[in-house]
Amino acid sequence: MIRRGAVLLAALLLFASALGLVTAQHRTRSLFIDLERAQQETKQLDVDFERLKIELARLSQPAAVERAAQRLGFRAAGASQTVYLNLPEASAAAPVEPGARK
Amino acid sequence: MKTGARNSAAGGGRRSDASGARRERLASGAHPLLNVALPAWRSKLMLFLLFVGFVALGGRAFFLMGGVTTEFLQRQGEARYARTLEIPATRGRITDRNGVVLASSVPARAVWAIPEDVTATPAQIAELARLLDMSAGELKRRLDNEDRSFVYLRRQVDMQVADRISALKIAGIHSSREFKRHYPEGPTSAHIVGFTNVEDRGQEGIELAHERQLAGRSGSRRVIKDRLGRVVEDDWLREPVDGQDLALSIDSRVQYIAYSALKNAIDKHQAKAGAAIVLDVRTGEVLALVNSPTFDPNARGRLSGDAIRNRVLTDTFEPGSTMKPFAIAAALEQGKVRPDSRIQTAPGRLTIGDRTIGDAHPHGVLTVEEVVAKSSNVGTAKIALELPAQTLWESYTALGFGQAPRMGFPGAVAGRLRPAKTWRPIEQATISYGHGVSVSLVQLARAYSALARDGELVPLSLMKVEEPPAAVRVLSAPTAIAMRKMLEMAVGDGGTAPAARIAGYRVAGKTGTAQKLRNGQYVKEYVASFAGFAPVSDPRLVIAVMIDEPGGGAYYGGQVAAPVFAQIAGASLRTLQVAPDGPLEAPKQLLALRQSR
Repeated sequence: MIRRGAVLLAALLLFASALGLVTAQHRTRSLFIDLERAQQETKQLDVDFERLKIELARLSQPAAVERAAQRLGFRAAGASQTVYLNLPEASAAAPVEPGARK
Repeated sequence: MKTGARNSAAGGGRRSDASGARRERLASGAHPLLNVALPAWRSKLMLFLLFVGFVALGGRAFFLMGGVTTEFLQRQGEARYARTLEIPATRGRITDRNGVVLASSVPARAVWAIPEDVTATPAQIAELARLLDMSAGELKRRLDNEDRSFVYLRRQVDMQVADRISALKIAGIHSSREFKRHYPEGPTSAHIVGFTNVEDRGQEGIELAHERQLAGRSGSRRVIKDRLGRVVEDDWLREPVDGQDLALSIDSRVQYIAYSALKNAIDKHQAKAGAAIVLDVRTGEVLALVNSPTFDPNARGRLSGDAIRNRVLTDTFEPGSTMKPFAIAAALEQGKVRPDSRIQTAPGRLTIGDRTIGDAHPHGVLTVEEVVAKSSNVGTAKIALELPAQTLWESYTALGFGQAPRMGFPGAVAGRLRPAKTWRPIEQATISYGHGVSVSLVQLARAYSALARDGELVPLSLMKVEEPPAAVRVLSAPTAIAMRKMLEMAVGDGGTAPAARIAGYRVAGKTGTAQKLRNGQYVKEYVASFAGFAPVSDPRLVIAVMIDEPGGGAYYGGQVAAPVFAQIAGASLRTLQVAPDGPLEAPKQLLALRQSR
C-alpha cells in the first residue's frame, strides 16, 4: 500500500517536473525572442545614428556652409577684420611684429 | 440454408454473427463465388505476410533511429528548423583628424528579380521603375530577358526605397542585404579617401590601402527558428569583427580651403589639371591633399581615369626652379658659398660643353640670396657646379628625391633622379634648377619641410599622428635658417612671387615654371608650381601647389601657383588659429602688384 503510494507520488512529481520543464523552455524562448528584438532595435538605432552622422557631415561640410553663407551675403573674415589679443603667457611666445618683413 | 451458412462461416473464419447473417442473405441467392470453400492455409499465409510486413517496418524504424544513417536524417530534420545566418561585419568609418565623417557604410538593399516569376500590372511596373530610378522600358527589357534566371535590377538601394519596393508585393522581385558607402564630403576629399566597389571592397586611396583594417570579418551564427520565423535559440559559430575606424591626418576645413583655391585657379587659368598638398611641419601629417579635376565617389558610374588620378602622389613632373633651394642648400652646407657670396650671372647665359643655359632676364652680379630671390638659372648652375656630382646627388637623396615616399598609399611614385655617375656637367647644371629630374608634389613638399624644420626631415603620414615621429637631420640648422631667409626674400618686393604674400603672416617659398617634355622635346606647355611655408618665424604649414598646363596666357609659377599658395596659407593659418607674425594690413604696393600681375 505504501509502495503504491510512493510510486503514485513519484509519478505525480515527474509529471509536475515535466510540465515545469516545458514552461521553463517556453519562457526561455520567449525571453530570448525579446532579447533578440531588443538587439535588433539596438542595431537599427546604430544604423540610424550612422545615417544621421553622415547626414550631419553632408550638411556641415565646408562647401555647404560656404554656399549657405554666399546665399545670405556673408563674407569670410580676413586678417584685417580680426582683432588679435595677446594673452599674457602667449605674448612672449608669439609676438606680433609689425613691419617684420624686410 | 443451414449448410450454406456453415460453408460460408468456414470460409470467412472471423465474422460476427450479425454481419454473417447479412452476408448469408446476400450470398445465399446472388453470388456463387462466395459459396466456394477456401483452403485454410491462405488466411494463415496472409497473417504471416502481415506479420513480416510489421517486422520489416519495425526493423526499418530501428535502422533509421538508431542505425547508421542517423546523422544524415538528423541534419535533414535540423534543416527544417535550424539556420546558419551570415552576419556581415560593418566596414570601418573613415574620419578626418577632428572626427568629421569622410566615409561610412550603412545597410542598403540589392533589388533583384527572377524574370520568369514576375507577374505585375503595368501600373506596378511603372511604380517600380520610378522607385528604381530607371525608365519603364529599361525595366521591362531587363525583366523580359527570359534566358536569365536571375537579374539585378539595382544595387545599393536605400532602405526606405527598398521598403517601398517590397510594399508593392510584386511576385518575383526580391531584395537582399548589402552595404552602401557614403562619402559626405564628396569630391573634396575623393582622392585621398578613395572609394569602394558595390561589394564594399576598397578600390582606390585609403579605402584600398587600409582594406584589411577597414573590412573587418563577417561572422556566422546558428539559430533555431520557431514556426513564426522568430529566433528562439542561437549559437555563435564565429562572432563578426567590425572593421576598425580610421582617423586620417586630413583636416577637412583645410582640405576644403585647398580644394576651392585650386579649383578657382584652374578655372581662372584654364589649366588642364592641378594639385596641392598641405603638411603640418611639426608632425609630418598631411593636412590636405587635393587634386583637380576630381570626381564624386558617391556617383561612381561616371568615373574616368583622368579624374581618379592622384597627381600629388602618382604623377611626377620636372619641378623647375622650385628645386633650386636644395642645390644652394647643399653648397651652403659644404661651405662652398655663403649667403652673401657674390656670383657673376652676366650676361645671363652660360655655356657648358656644347649647350647654353640662360636666364629670363640678365641680372649681373648677384649675391647667393638674390640668386634664389630672383631665380637665376645661371647663378644656381654656377653654384651647383662648385660641388662634386656625388655630393649633390647625396643631398637630393637625403631629402627624399628619387625614392617613393613611404606613406602607405597605393601608387606613390619615386620620381627620377639618375645616379651621379651618369651626370654630365650640363646635366648637373640643369638638375640644379629642376630640369632633367622629376619629382612628385609630395616629395617637393616634404623636402621643403626640411627647410621649415631647421634641417630635419620627418616621415609623412596620412593617418592622424598622436606623437611626433623621430626626425632625421639632413641639413644643419644654420643652413635651413639661411635658406628660410632667402625664400622669404623670393616672395619679397624684388622676388619672383610677391603674389604669395598674405596679410598677417610672413611667408617664404619658391616659384617654379617648367616647360613640359613631350617625346623628348620641350614644348610650349608649362607646369607652374610653388612650394613654401608659413609663418616664417615659426613654420607650421608647408604648402606645395602645382598647376598643369595653364592655358590662359599666364603660365609663370609666380602668377598662377603663388596666389593659390597665398589663399591656402592665409585661410588655413587663420582656421588653425596660428598667431600672426606679420603686418595685419596688406601693404598698398602689394595690393597694386597683385592686381597688375
